[in-house]
Amino acid sequence: MSLVTRRTVLTGVAATLAAPAIVRPAWAADTVKIGCLFSSSGTMANLEGRLNYITKMAAAELNASGGVLGRQVEVVVTNPNSDWPTYAQMGRQLLQEQKVAALFGCWTSVSRKSVLPVVEENNGLLFYPLHFEGEENSKNVVYLNSPPASSVLPAVDYLMSSDGVSAKRFFMVGTDYVWPRTINKILKGYWKSKGFSESSWHEEYVPFGFSNFQSIVNQIRTFTSQTGGQPIVVLTVVGSSIADFLRECINQGVKPTDIPVLGLDMVEADLEGLDTTSLVGNLNCWAYLQNAPGPRNQAFLANWAAYVKSSNAPYSPHVAIDPMVSTYDGVHIWAEAAKKAGSFDVPAVRTAFAGLQFPDPSGYTLSMTADNNYVARGVFIGSVNAQQGFDVLWQSSGTPKPVPYSPFG
Amino acid sequence: MARMLKTGALALVALVSLLLGSSQAFAGMDRSAIVGLLCGTGSHAVMQGADEMLANLPTASPADLDWARAVVQAFSRRTLRCGGGGVGYIATSGGLIDAARLEASPPVSSVLRSPFPNLRTRAALDRLTAAIAVLNAPAPEARLAAVGILASHSDLIPPALAEAALKRTRNPRVAEALRGLIVLQRLHAPDIGQRVAAIRAMSENATSRTENELKSLRADPVYAANPRVAAALDHGIAHVRLWVQVGAVLSLLYNGVSAGSVLFMSAIGLSIIFGLMGVINLAQGELLMVGAYATYSVQQIIRMIAPGYISLYPVVAIPVVFILTGLLGILIEWTVIRHLYRRPLMTLLATWGISLLLINLVRVFFGTQNLEFDTPPYLTGGVAVVGDFFITWNHLAAIVFAVGAFTATLALLRFTSIGLFIRGVTQNRDMAGCIGISTRRVDMLAFGFGAGLAGLGGLALSPIYNVNPTMGTGFIIDSFMVVVLGGVGSLIGTAVAALGIGLVDVGIEPFYGAVAAKVIALLLIILIIQWRPEGLVAARGRR
Repeated sequence: MSLVTRRTVLTGVAATLAAPAIVRPAWAADTVKIGCLFSSSGTMANLEGRLNYITKMAAAELNASGGVLGRQVEVVVTNPNSDWPTYAQMGRQLLQEQKVAALFGCWTSVSRKSVLPVVEENNGLLFYPLHFEGEENSKNVVYLNSPPASSVLPAVDYLMSSDGVSAKRFFMVGTDYVWPRTINKILKGYWKSKGFSESSWHEEYVPFGFSNFQSIVNQIRTFTSQTGGQPIVVLTVVGSSIADFLRECINQGVKPTDIPVLGLDMVEADLEGLDTTSLVGNLNCWAYLQNAPGPRNQAFLANWAAYVKSSNAPYSPHVAIDPMVSTYDGVHIWAEAAKKAGSFDVPAVRTAFAGLQFPDPSGYTLSMTADNNYVARGVFIGSVNAQQGFDVLWQSSGTPKPVPYSPFG
Repeated sequence: MARMLKTGALALVALVSLLLGSSQAFAGMDRSAIVGLLCGTGSHAVMQGADEMLANLPTASPADLDWARAVVQAFSRRTLRCGGGGVGYIATSGGLIDAARLEASPPVSSVLRSPFPNLRTRAALDRLTAAIAVLNAPAPEARLAAVGILASHSDLIPPALAEAALKRTRNPRVAEALRGLIVLQRLHAPDIGQRVAAIRAMSENATSRTENELKSLRADPVYAANPRVAAALDHGIAHVRLWVQVGAVLSLLYNGVSAGSVLFMSAIGLSIIFGLMGVINLAQGELLMVGAYATYSVQQIIRMIAPGYISLYPVVAIPVVFILTGLLGILIEWTVIRHLYRRPLMTLLATWGISLLLINLVRVFFGTQNLEFDTPPYLTGGVAVVGDFFITWNHLAAIVFAVGAFTATLALLRFTSIGLFIRGVTQNRDMAGCIGISTRRVDMLAFGFGAGLAGLGGLALSPIYNVNPTMGTGFIIDSFMVVVLGGVGSLIGTAVAALGIGLVDVGIEPFYGAVAAKVIALLLIILIIQWRPEGLVAARGRR
């Protein structure tokens, strides 16, 4: 007769699983929870997945220095599976069941738009780490990265200047959703205000996860050969499509010296696996680049490399991208605000944002005002190098004031 | 002996030219002035320096050319360092050397700036590199390539450069290319005959770029004044226009066929597993992904044991990937599917579970980042054919691979006994069992075969798409669509449907955009399924 029956095993397993739930209230008083809404599967996984780890790294830094208001920070990670409505559902769970003090999450604007009603309803706080279209100003969202006026427009201005390439014609390729459409609308308004006519641009949209860029790159080659001045590509495709697009450009021999590509969502991680020697000179613009000068960045990169090693994260220890730094900044800004407010209550934390400053890895000192929940950041224009990274081509002298709602939109 | 004499003579010539160069007998370049400009602030100064250097290249001494190459290379590779007052240095592993004299420099105390080539200066540096190579590159191939680069910027190149290069080459192919460049540069020559020849030479290279350049020549007053030029130009434009249009049609077809091949490769495994066996396998995309990861592993192993043969890994991977994913397929069939043949809905859930399991297993072992494939040289780039039609090698390889896989699978199903058994079991399982076919074994083999084919699909897609654990999910819907449209149970149907969807998708894209193309293609599929529920090519036999 065997003592270990299926039933005893199941009961044992169930008891083990249930144990943390029973134990938790006992030490809950010493911790404060923050939630992550980043996908670790689906088309955004390669990018968003990193942000879970960076949130944990920032929390570990806070905990190492005694936590926030005497409480240890606990990170609750979810996986919305690159499916936009799931972000809202997971966000609701985090706020209502896990009672998290703040949410860190979303990459695409469509996922942010899906979470927006949830945080507003529950009066939560979402820290959003991506640069975005800027046509939104909710008191429940902290916009950690720059709106177009302080990221995209300076980069386009640079390309239109004589130091850039004196760009006169523009080919816009984007994924079909709110961010590319709004960015392109703002850009068109901007070009119109500069006296360009409708014939000097061309717009193309592709579905999410699109990968066959043969026809579009064909069109770009034809566009390049037309007369009327120097052309550029403004690339707003997202996720895995970026690398697919670049690969097709390499294969069809589209050279940055003929038609440079300004990849607005292009980061170091998108160049993994590509031979970038024939992409050298293509551009991106962010509030942080891995090659940003300064000791703070060196320290951050060393921390990340060590963290990847110790946590066994499935990401490269040598690649750091802007949204990672923005998320990292977000966790610290939240902690600073909570310390200043002396409470984790959302209204108190929000009031504490006014006048908050944080020296971040990019080398700039971020600041917030009482006007809105936008964060003033520096601007970098990066140029692809042969080592699958970006060199700093240009950087702003200060942190331009972020302005929601573009006049060109 | 004769050879020794020749080397001796060459050395003497080199020595003499070196002496002459250093004693400024040549109209030598003002090296420090050029370095000063290149080290200047703002791209205006840099461009001026580059122009100055380019203008002096045709008359430069060999020593000056070597110097120019060293400086341009240093600038491009970001080893040029600039001090105050326009003094330049080149950083080498052995310390700083003076950029104007290429000699070791005394220690520099001031902070040095490393000028960054922006897009504008980078283009100028590329032109300079080509212009120097055309004069002194040792290999004729390098000179030919350089002429190609110069020809696409012929208006920015001093006419004397091609003449000078022509004098310095003895290779007939390089000479011919250079003469072509000279003819091209006479587009605005005062002599009408030369102009007409230039227009003719230009229209030989029929691309839409040439078309636009020729069209802009119509604004030239000579076009209106001289009927010979006008006739040559009109004829040239018509000629180029024709070939550009031919190229556009070919390129549409090529894109369509290659998109179809990709669809076919992602659907071929499913067409066996779902089409012939009737198993709704939701893990099909993951088998594809496993195939791509197996390819990656083969590449890593070759890199470790025989790095010299790394470019052959796709070929070596073909059998390995097929066998590995085939075995995985057999394992899945043996552990899960065989218990569920009579319960299709449960197969659906079970295979979905398997797909999640595979994704997460790969994530644990390989991580979620895109895999870095060492793309062999024969799969990068491509060749311009006619007009703007450009054949990219990776897509061509996908087409060839798809055709090969299709023929091999068809032959296996038609002409071998195992193929006969598979078809027999498909058509009537009970009857096949009655006449002594081991249906269990056939099921297992057929599933393994389908899985192996999916693995090959992954291999074929690895140079075209990003390889990461979730790559399979993107293919599953498309492959079911192809198999159902083609007709369940028909391999030919799968091929026809894949080609059809590929062509329709790509054909619509340039006119209505990629999003609308997808919508229209799906609408067409719905209409076709309404009209022929059994698919385009219906399988014969009783079900």
